[in-house]
Amino acid sequence: MTSAVSGRLPQARSFGSQILRDLGGVVLLALVALAAGLVMNRVSSRPLPIVYQTPEQRFDAELTTLVTAPPFKIAPAATVGLEEFLAAVKGKSALIIDARPAVFFEQGHVPGALNLSRERFARDYRRLAPVLKPAVDKPVIVYCSGGDCHDSRLVANALLSLGFSSVSVFTGGWIAWSEARLPVSTGSGQ
Amino acid sequence: MIARSNSSGDYVVLAVSLGLAAVFIYAGVAKMRDALDFADNIAGFGIVPAAFINLLAFALPPFEVGCGLLLLWPPTRRVAALAMALLSVMFFAVLLSALVRGLTLDCGCFGSGAPSRPRMWIELGIDVVLFVGSMFVYLRSIVRSALSTT
Repeated sequence: MTSAVSGRLPQARSFGSQILRDLGGVVLLALVALAAGLVMNRVSSRPLPIVYQTPEQRFDAELTTLVTAPPFKIAPAATVGLEEFLAAVKGKSALIIDARPAVFFEQGHVPGALNLSRERFARDYRRLAPVLKPAVDKPVIVYCSGGDCHDSRLVANALLSLGFSSVSVFTGGWIAWSEARLPVSTGSGQ
Repeated sequence: MIARSNSSGDYVVLAVSLGLAAVFIYAGVAKMRDALDFADNIAGFGIVPAAFINLLAFALPPFEVGCGLLLLWPPTRRVAALAMALLSVMFFAVLLSALVRGLTLDCGCFGSGAPSRPRMWIELGIDVVLFVGSMFVYLRSIVRSALSTT
């Protein structure tokens, strides 16, 4: 009996040490797999960042890229003057987009305009998606402050990239609208 | 008699090993096709912190392929079988926790597909089969090596 027990002990020890050795092998295999995975990611055509981004974060990043570095392939959006813009606002024949930062929009904007600011394009685009997405085939007119402001062009080009078919820029912008003493809305309006 | 039973046991181990290797290599290669999709699948379970999701998505497919290949080579069979058993337990626990929480997901176990609860139950069953198979190979190998050393 004693000899049977004393015979099993070294065997159990041997099993234990083998299992430990095997676990070490598993850890080594995991490390090699991680290294191989990192190398494969590095050489892949679409490498991923080390830290995961949710689909929403990736979409935001893509949208932000559209307004920070507009692709040169896209033709500049068409432009409209004050008369044409006014007719579109009065006749509600186009979706009016204000590309200025929210703080200026709230102080005063063209009645019926939506605030899709260049500054927070991704966030605003997602917020306005229920209104914007059904309007991809409708005329869209974008404005910003006027004069030398580029926000309206950047937002217009981003909308063209996103599939909007008819996007133009009201070059006179907010300056031309307010100088003509046309109606003004205030607040967030949305 | 003993020699005959050992040799038939070897054939069973070899057959089970071939089956397991095929499943793991297929699963690993299927996951490698789209790392982004697989990372989204991992994120869907809501268990792994964001900082580790992509690392897991990079490491798991080569790990599975490595297990499959090492299982085919007798000197590394034991390590591969143990790794497969641990992996199956992990997959089982993660899938079960998702089912208990009422989630309907695509686990991405064999590449991407549509989220489906019936498929999650099937994959849970597959994990049990994989665990039993890999433990069988591991225990056979460890007993065999213990006997050969005594």
